[in-house]
Amino acid sequence: MSDDVMAEIHRDYLFNLVLKGERDDGRAFDEFRDISIETGVAGMAEGSALVTLGDTQILVGIKIQPGEPFPDTPDVGVIITNAELIPMASPEYEAGPPREGAIEIARVVDRGIRESKAIDLEKLCMIEGEKVWIIFIDIHVLNNGGNIIDAASIGSIAALLSTTLPAERYGLGEDSPLPVRDIPVAVTAIEFGGELLLDPSLEEGKLAGTVYTVITNSDGGISGMQKSGIEPLTIDQVMRVVDMAGTAAVKIREKFLEV
Amino acid sequence: MERTIVIPGDVVSDNIKMSGSGTYVHGNKVRASVYGLLNVGERYISVIPLAGKYIPCASDRVIGIITEVVYSNWVVDINSPYEGLLHISQYPRRIDSENMSKYLKVGDCILTMVASVDASMKVELTLREKELRVLSNGRIVTINPTKMPRVIGRNGSMIRLLKSEIGCNMFVGQNGRIWINGSGDCIDLAIQTVKYIEDNAHTPGLTERVQAFLKAKEKTRHGKVHESRNDEE
Amino acid sequence: MSEKPEHFIIDGKRLDGRRVDELRSVKIKLSPLDRADGSCYLEWGRNKIMAAVYGPRELHPRHRQDMTKAVVQYRYNMAAFSVNDRIRPGHSRRSIEISKVGRDAFEYVLFTKFFPKTAIDIFIEVLQADAGTRTAGINAASLALADAGIPMRGLISACAVGKVDGEIVLDLMKEEDNFGEADVPVAMTAGGKITHLQMDGHLTRDEFYEALKLAKIGCDKVYKLQRQALIEKYSGEYAENDEDAIPQAQIGDADE
Repeated sequence: MSDDVMAEIHRDYLFNLVLKGERDDGRAFDEFRDISIETGVAGMAEGSALVTLGDTQILVGIKIQPGEPFPDTPDVGVIITNAELIPMASPEYEAGPPREGAIEIARVVDRGIRESKAIDLEKLCMIEGEKVWIIFIDIHVLNNGGNIIDAASIGSIAALLSTTLPAERYGLGEDSPLPVRDIPVAVTAIEFGGELLLDPSLEEGKLAGTVYTVITNSDGGISGMQKSGIEPLTIDQVMRVVDMAGTAAVKIREKFLEV
Repeated sequence: MERTIVIPGDVVSDNIKMSGSGTYVHGNKVRASVYGLLNVGERYISVIPLAGKYIPCASDRVIGIITEVVYSNWVVDINSPYEGLLHISQYPRRIDSENMSKYLKVGDCILTMVASVDASMKVELTLREKELRVLSNGRIVTINPTKMPRVIGRNGSMIRLLKSEIGCNMFVGQNGRIWINGSGDCIDLAIQTVKYIEDNAHTPGLTERVQAFLKAKEKTRHGKVHESRNDEE
Repeated sequence: MSEKPEHFIIDGKRLDGRRVDELRSVKIKLSPLDRADGSCYLEWGRNKIMAAVYGPRELHPRHRQDMTKAVVQYRYNMAAFSVNDRIRPGHSRRSIEISKVGRDAFEYVLFTKFFPKTAIDIFIEVLQADAGTRTAGINAASLALADAGIPMRGLISACAVGKVDGEIVLDLMKEEDNFGEADVPVAMTAGGKITHLQMDGHLTRDEFYEALKLAKIGCDKVYKLQRQALIEKYSGEYAENDEDAIPQAQIGDADE
């Protein structure tokens, strides 16, 4: 996009840094920026988390209500994930319905949570075919400092871990914690100057010809992937990211123990 | 002339100096960039595409249609992703800018020339050259611009054949539009023949085929004349 | 949704009789559409896909024009009647995402710099869906682009790999997609550069690596079918110019 134009000399500078094995903010190629997770920040939500990843700030809120299951899956609960790139978060964002960038973020985060079976959806069925719990995951990007997908993924699972099923409000028994049984973690890499860099900053993200996300579970298995951007990757590069992502995810998962 | 069909990515030469139009160089090899016919020349290897749009080039003769009259310019559709601009100063004689539509109005056809194309693909046209003019009669037929070289033929041989065999006046614009003038029958036959060339542009021995096509048409024409005489009797 | 079968693979054969590394049957028809600049109709198993390409053509609105290259637009759409339960016509979130990554899959191979300020529009209509529509759409689009005479580095070939009954298999059919353990759609250049990659389900690292290698084998097969379709379109006079006539070295290494 034309609003992403970067001065050629600055691009060269960043490129030469990478050739020397360095990044502008001093990180190693496989190093994440600082992560902080704060839960229970939105009082009206059933669960919430404010995540910062470097300069990126994302607030994820969980709302839950009873409703009808999808006809093709009558015996499990429903997850609906939405991401809003609100104009507050970047001069490049505009008001209006989600566009493809926001939709892609929401769908990749959703994929990780769904496919890892992190939420025991069978336990969210109350009457088969009639009544199940519907979980709305709303991702609000407050400040785009780069790598929204990883921050949104961390925020979503952190918020879910802090979520209470609001059964009393609907006269459906006692409140209970949402049954969460895994912590899927998305790790995103970009390819630049022939190198693979984890957790791209905003600027690095703009340089990237390709953005590649790998979501892994606690057992090291992979539950989701997404390649985005126009530059291709080789099989070797893909496998290198898979290995880097597995290692990085273990460290990120440790953060959840601190919360 | 047998020709090989190649698809994008096919290696067409190991000598990168031979890279001609419709090819690109990657990894010390010349590869086809378009789907088309391989054309091995003495100095260059090129691929003649089987489809594609007309991209204007300076000094191309093209047939345009006026789509808009704006301040000091006519906007001209030249059968391309890029529109052409004919500035009032490029009209063959000095005219009044208040009344441009009097000279060329929306829908008028012109036989024009691309004067210049800049880096932003602004295409400037002119009518200030010999044989360029407003086309007020005849018909225009449009074919795929990539087939144009076959309608023209080697050194214009095909177009000469069409003109002499059919007996009509023709002008072939490089943008895929052909202007034909003559008697109604001649124009119909010319259009049929041009379409025949377009459909068979990829085949060898095209000149002979076209001659045979015209001969067959000639027969049916005479046949018809004969029949109608019979009816009269 | 139908019941989950007890076994997906019995005696090395899948539910539809295929081996684990076999594609569904593929039928390709080039240029079925008259108005489009290039088009392709593709049957892939029970999927029926129509792809059309327009362009390069003038891009509207003007502020979306790029002064340095053509803008590639990709619209994947499922017809309302393409699946059992009618789907609401128009863009869904799923189709918007598939359209985005579909576009990304092609940008690398298209010489967009040749056509500043224009658009290259790629339209995919899924007429009948039976698992693997996004990869089938990419395959059809690749041929429609060639058919339109758009300059490109090479074709893009796509297929999905997945896991059923604990085994890595090529080209998931509907039941395998619905009940299988993983689905990995992949698109590549003939040289094996990956331009599209998604994954959902559960795979270990080693299983994923195996899946990628199988995807390469699948994409190679698809490439041969695509190539053959393009050559045969003009085979009336050129029957002798099929794959045999072209040295093998020319095939399958378009960007090494």
